[in-house]
Amino acid sequence: MDPKLTEVSQLFERFKAAFLRNDFDTCTRLLSQLKVSLTQFRSLPPLFEATPNAIDELNLARDIYEHAVVLSVKTEDQDAFERDFFQLKPYYTDAGNRLPPSPQEHPILGLNLLRLLVQNRIAEFHTELELLSSAAMENPCIKHAVELEQSFMEGAYNRVLSARQTVPHETYVYFMDLLAKTVRDEISGCSEKAYDFLAISDAQKMLLFSSEQELLEYIKEEHSEWEIKNDFVYLQKAKESTPCKEIPSLQLINQTLSYARELERIV
Amino acid sequence: MTQDVEMKEKDHTTPSHSVTTVVPSTFQNLKEIASLIETGSYTKEVRRIGRAVRLTISLRRKLTASVLSAFLDFALVPGSEAHTRLSVYLPKQDEHEMEVDTATSVSQASGKHLLPELEIYCYLLLLLFLIDQKKYNEAKACSSASIARLKNVNRRTVDVIASRLYFYYSYSYELTGELAEIRGNLLALHRIATLRHDELGQETLLNLLLRNYLHYNLYDQAEKLRSKAPRFEAHSNQQFCRYLFYLGKIRTIQLEYTDAKESLLQAARKAPLAARGFRIQCNKWAVLVRLLLGEIPERTIFMQKGMENALKPYFELTNAVRIGDLELFRNVAEKFADTFNADRTHNLIVRLRHNVIRTGLRNINISYSRISLADVAKKLRLNSQNPIADAESIVSKAIHDGAIDATLDHTNGWMVSKETGDIYSTNEPQIAFNSRIAFCLNMHNEAVRALRYPPNTHKEKESAEKRRERHQQEQELAKHIAEEDDDDF
Repeated sequence: MDPKLTEVSQLFERFKAAFLRNDFDTCTRLLSQLKVSLTQFRSLPPLFEATPNAIDELNLARDIYEHAVVLSVKTEDQDAFERDFFQLKPYYTDAGNRLPPSPQEHPILGLNLLRLLVQNRIAEFHTELELLSSAAMENPCIKHAVELEQSFMEGAYNRVLSARQTVPHETYVYFMDLLAKTVRDEISGCSEKAYDFLAISDAQKMLLFSSEQELLEYIKEEHSEWEIKNDFVYLQKAKESTPCKEIPSLQLINQTLSYARELERIV
Repeated sequence: MTQDVEMKEKDHTTPSHSVTTVVPSTFQNLKEIASLIETGSYTKEVRRIGRAVRLTISLRRKLTASVLSAFLDFALVPGSEAHTRLSVYLPKQDEHEMEVDTATSVSQASGKHLLPELEIYCYLLLLLFLIDQKKYNEAKACSSASIARLKNVNRRTVDVIASRLYFYYSYSYELTGELAEIRGNLLALHRIATLRHDELGQETLLNLLLRNYLHYNLYDQAEKLRSKAPRFEAHSNQQFCRYLFYLGKIRTIQLEYTDAKESLLQAARKAPLAARGFRIQCNKWAVLVRLLLGEIPERTIFMQKGMENALKPYFELTNAVRIGDLELFRNVAEKFADTFNADRTHNLIVRLRHNVIRTGLRNINISYSRISLADVAKKLRLNSQNPIADAESIVSKAIHDGAIDATLDHTNGWMVSKETGDIYSTNEPQIAFNSRIAFCLNMHNEAVRALRYPPNTHKEKESAEKRRERHQQEQELAKHIAEEDDDDF
């Protein structure tokens, strides 16, 4: 075996040991060392040279980046997640036919979909979705994210929240918690338009607060325009869409003049 | 020695004539094209070469191995490097006949200086022939060789032929399902074309690259390339149509429905009538995008001649969305799942579910002034564990997005529709009126700007003959596009 490869795999073993101990500082330190040493292999993307150890090297590198992605979730660092994921992606797409499929592939792809959903990058979400085969779509991890997006678009928020209980993978919890916050903001935005008033107890249930106190604080911070009067939250002041009484004369004059000008040009 | 050759020549002129009667005419036509290319190359008139390429397409169905080998002998010096390189790809014929053909044309060709245009043109002919004969592996080898040769030729008069070659290069790889392999090569070619200011080549290659990416659903890469590649006024209508179509697809995936609709409709309109396959594709995507936008496409779209069958699944889908019936929608999606998967529109259809619910809600909102949420859930046929809570949040989101005008009453579990006020008491009609007039005026201005005057029209009047020629060219062009697009889909 190539000495360089042995060295890297040993380092990776130490990383994995630290990872199991949940010693994230050591992990991050070791990971940056690993990433530097990975640059010395010419068989990895973007070069993809066919060296004798290519398969082993690719396999190891993929394993390292998979751990890096999971580590970034555990340290709750979304930027690192994005970076690591993009480094990992070529191993799935471009080197996929040379390597045995990784058991981590679908959970990580689903995790990425979830991240895009949390960050509200729906266009990218759909772009990623197009890359998945119909078999991959059936995978519980991917399906979870896809169904979440659908419920989110429809507005079936309680389905989003109940999905938290059925996460297919432990790493999903971090993003699901973030999603719950987004959902709360969405719900309050929608309720504001949809209801005239709500009983405090209902509002508390709807906005997923465990106590009335939390609800009141939330209202004070985010929606100071809501009124609280004898056990009811008044979400919107009586607004009348008054029919237009006066004629917008200036605008009309401008429009008519421009019609005249254009018509003159035609004739 | 000379006698020997003459003997053979005499021997074989007769049988070759008698075997195939088409040979002389096709061969004659090819010769004419070759001379057209020659003059084009000497006078540096790209127009003539373009014409030659179009004429070739009309000959395409008549090409045979013997005609081709005769033409190769005529155009290239037999025994020369180019000749040997090219004739490898021709299916082996009777040894005897080959010899004779060589002998006959030596005298004509040897005096000539070989033009790169002609050589490249021979590649194109061969490639057309190989693809039509379904010899895809040979076509692949031949196209790769031609591309390698092309990289060393830098003449503007070659560009037209080159752009066709690029197309068939990619096409031959697509037929064998190895598109990914040539991506790097196409990118390199695009770079070369850009450096050489070969705009037609850039246009063609950009489309091929987009097609390549989209073939593997790499929308991200396609969009990055598209947004960074240089754009200029389109040189060829067919390439522009394709570009619009790819652009529309990318935008649809990225949820920019309004822009996508514009591109797709424009592509469908600009495509020549004969390019049926292409227009069907455009229409399918356009229908979906319009549905996603919440519009209902007119029935006439589905009744276009020759498209009824292909568009039927989309027609039923539209119907389901229009009625707002989730159950029907689900059935249609299942019934035509194969079609949608083949069209790779399945994901878009999944997105449509949301629109079906919206339409259903809007219908309920219009029909009832007050309805309980349980009934809403029943009418929408939401299949979930907690239909009332689902219905409530779906309704509240619809209200938030402005899809319906209503309020919710949580304690009673009602949805109360708001009275629609008198729209004519507001400024709404005035605004609608203004936007329509602005559209018309804008259309007129655009039309005026788009008028083109051919150069030198004031100097010479178009003679009857020229006009006829031009008409013929246009027809050829239309046919050409049609054939290609039939191949595509």
